[in-house]
Amino acid sequence: MSASLAFVLVVALAYLAAHLAVDRLARRFLIVSGAEYLLLGILLGPRVSGILSADVVRSFAPLTTLALGWIGAVVGLQLDLRELVRTRGVMFRLAFLESLLTFLVVSGVEAAAVAWLYGLPVENALLPGAALGGIAVASSSRAVDVVAERQLGVERPALLQFKVSVLVNSVFAVLAFGLLASVWHPSVPVRGRAITATEWMVITIAIGAVGGVLFHLFVRDERNVDRLFVALGGGIILVSGAATYAGLSPILAALVFGALLVNTSANRAELAAALARVERPLYLVLLVFAGAAWRPSARPWLWVIPVLLFLAARVFAKVGASRLVARANGMLPILGPDWGRGLVGQGGLALAIALNYVYQDGGTLPYFVFTAAIASVLLTDLLSARLIESVVNGLVRRIEVD
Amino acid sequence: MQRLLVLGMLYLGVRLVHPLGVGGHGSEALLAFGFLILAAYTSGELADSARLPRIVGYLLAGVLFGPSVLGIVGSDATRQLAPVGSLAIALIAFLAGAELRWSELRERGRAIATILTAELAITFVALAGLLIAMREHVPFLAGEPLATVLGFSILFAAIAIVHSPAVTMALLTETRARGPVARTTLGVVLVSDVVVIVLFSAAVALARALVPPTGENVAGVSLLGVVWELTGALLVGGILGGAVALYLRLVQRQLILFVVLVAFFGVEVARLTHVETLLTLLTAGFVAENVSRRADGSALRHAVERSGAPVFVVFFALAGAAMSLADVRQVWPLVIPIVLVRAGGIWLGCRAGSWWGRVPAPAGRFVWMGLISQAGVAIGLATVIAEVYPVRGALLRTLFLATLAVNQTLGPILFRLALARSGEIPDGTGAGEPVEPNAAPGGAEALARG
Repeated sequence: MSASLAFVLVVALAYLAAHLAVDRLARRFLIVSGAEYLLLGILLGPRVSGILSADVVRSFAPLTTLALGWIGAVVGLQLDLRELVRTRGVMFRLAFLESLLTFLVVSGVEAAAVAWLYGLPVENALLPGAALGGIAVASSSRAVDVVAERQLGVERPALLQFKVSVLVNSVFAVLAFGLLASVWHPSVPVRGRAITATEWMVITIAIGAVGGVLFHLFVRDERNVDRLFVALGGGIILVSGAATYAGLSPILAALVFGALLVNTSANRAELAAALARVERPLYLVLLVFAGAAWRPSARPWLWVIPVLLFLAARVFAKVGASRLVARANGMLPILGPDWGRGLVGQGGLALAIALNYVYQDGGTLPYFVFTAAIASVLLTDLLSARLIESVVNGLVRRIEVD
Repeated sequence: MQRLLVLGMLYLGVRLVHPLGVGGHGSEALLAFGFLILAAYTSGELADSARLPRIVGYLLAGVLFGPSVLGIVGSDATRQLAPVGSLAIALIAFLAGAELRWSELRERGRAIATILTAELAITFVALAGLLIAMREHVPFLAGEPLATVLGFSILFAAIAIVHSPAVTMALLTETRARGPVARTTLGVVLVSDVVVIVLFSAAVALARALVPPTGENVAGVSLLGVVWELTGALLVGGILGGAVALYLRLVQRQLILFVVLVAFFGVEVARLTHVETLLTLLTAGFVAENVSRRADGSALRHAVERSGAPVFVVFFALAGAAMSLADVRQVWPLVIPIVLVRAGGIWLGCRAGSWWGRVPAPAGRFVWMGLISQAGVAIGLATVIAEVYPVRGALLRTLFLATLAVNQTLGPILFRLALARSGEIPDGTGAGEPVEPNAAPGGAEALARG
């Protein structure tokens, strides 16, 4: 099948699925869409039905890379300092500590498991371990939005904490992975010496920052959404392309780009509208092609144990770390002991980071990392909104009883 | 000044990234794509401030940053971005079809038919005659027998008479001109695409009789094949247009995504069924517009313009990048007479056709200026010749692309001048032809207007 026809079929199927079934399911039964597109991609991909051949999947790499950048820019656009300073500091503290603990626990468990099962030296097992640690931190943002819609605008403290936690989780995960991509970067000699990890990190941030500055010079006080869309699209494409070309994380570069725009532009609402215009179709395309890009192992038993360990360690770390940091900060009475359950759901960002890991040259066990992310998204995304709502409603009931 | 600074910074930024490259996963194409969007957009703004059409800026950006000059966008990247070009052509054809209303075709049908007939006939004869007269100076005709000279002159003339729906549509969305010059030019350009394909098929058949191709490259043009290519395009386009109209009536959601899918789907179906792609999409747009309710048609056009906005910028920039300045330099002495004779033929043909069809003054006087641009289908036809006659056909294509480079740059300037002089460009002072009430500026239009 040709690439264009495959593209049309995939997007049309994804669109039909979204509008005929999944949106309704999300509204009525709190089932957030995402995992089904991933499953669709796996079924259409070269490993199962072969409707999307390996060549077609490869030819869509620029589009999926762009989708990675777009997701990064969407996260960056949420980092509006004027909004963030209105949030209580303790909420950020909880979110950051929970992210850090989750990262450390999952990274440690996975590095040990990979070193033991694959007989790798610890320093080689650290990369997939840390990548999985970063992926484990990310939580589903769409689930929080769906639940917030159902709460009809009532500002519950737990829901606010979820919003802050999901944002901090996202930024932490993207930063952690950006750092990894800089540290384990293939050697590129420039003027007779290899570039250091710190320099790669600076370059990643500089790509996003220069893109943001150029964007400003480019559109100035433009308010027309169409013109903004062209400029914004061009900016994200350039930033993602430049970062990927240099072997860095397009998600982090685009996050910096988005963060710079939202904090320096007078037209934030228009920017958000322009970004939202193709966010959903690109996200669906990313999910489908991520599914199609998946490769199973020739020795599946070698993957099963660390993947199951990843799922278990992640749930344990999220719930345990959330309880621990809430108790340490005196927030347990407000958030309840199990509020971390609401952060168990994973969505597109986790998958984007895993796909980015597959795209990085020199990554150890890329498809194992990718499989773990896919398994986690498939198992948790559908239930993510339900988990959040159960926590929020449970707290409301407890307060009413008290 | 600020825009020049932006261009300079963009250039510098990409130059700095280049040595860091590890590449892979289409990142070169993505980098070139992003760079082209921003650079072409900025050049469009620069052109606008110099009172030139924005697409001239897009084209010049392509030439400047393409393989011929600065080489920021390399040949590989332009090849990788070819699907963007296909999408742009499909969107342009679809939009062009959607701009044609049946009532208007009936109203202007006579004017279009007479101008088109006279213009194509005179230009064709003039160009073929010029090549025959200059045969000793033309690389692929020098020292050849008369039959070969005649065959290749006819082939060259058959592709050199083609106009550019892409430039016409881009200029009309940029200027929002909707007056008689704009509408008549659009009608002539669109109908000429169909006529030229038929003419070209006849010219290839004649050339093959005069100069039988050697080797294996003799496949391709049979009468039955040509008939299917045209009638099949009408059939497939009609079905596609009907389906679009049905969607507009029953669903009408996510129109921007929908039109991109329709464009991709139309290109693919045309390829699979071996029908003419442009004509398929053009028919689809025409049927969708004329079968739908007026409001639905307007929403559809608006969606095509919005989805096409970034694609058009890159399309014209890529067209600029594909121009080989080395080739232009090589055949430069031949290019000037060909461009002049072609322009003269178009002018004379339009005047004769206007007189014949009693076309009122503004359209009769200015339409020729909208017909100078060349692109789209002509490049494809030149490639077909190069496939049938690998050696002489390739030389012919080089000469054609060199003349196209000049016409493609001059054409938009002349067309804009024609629209301005006929008073059809709304300028905010109430002058010019009124714009459709529901044609809110947006997408490519807003992009082009600023």
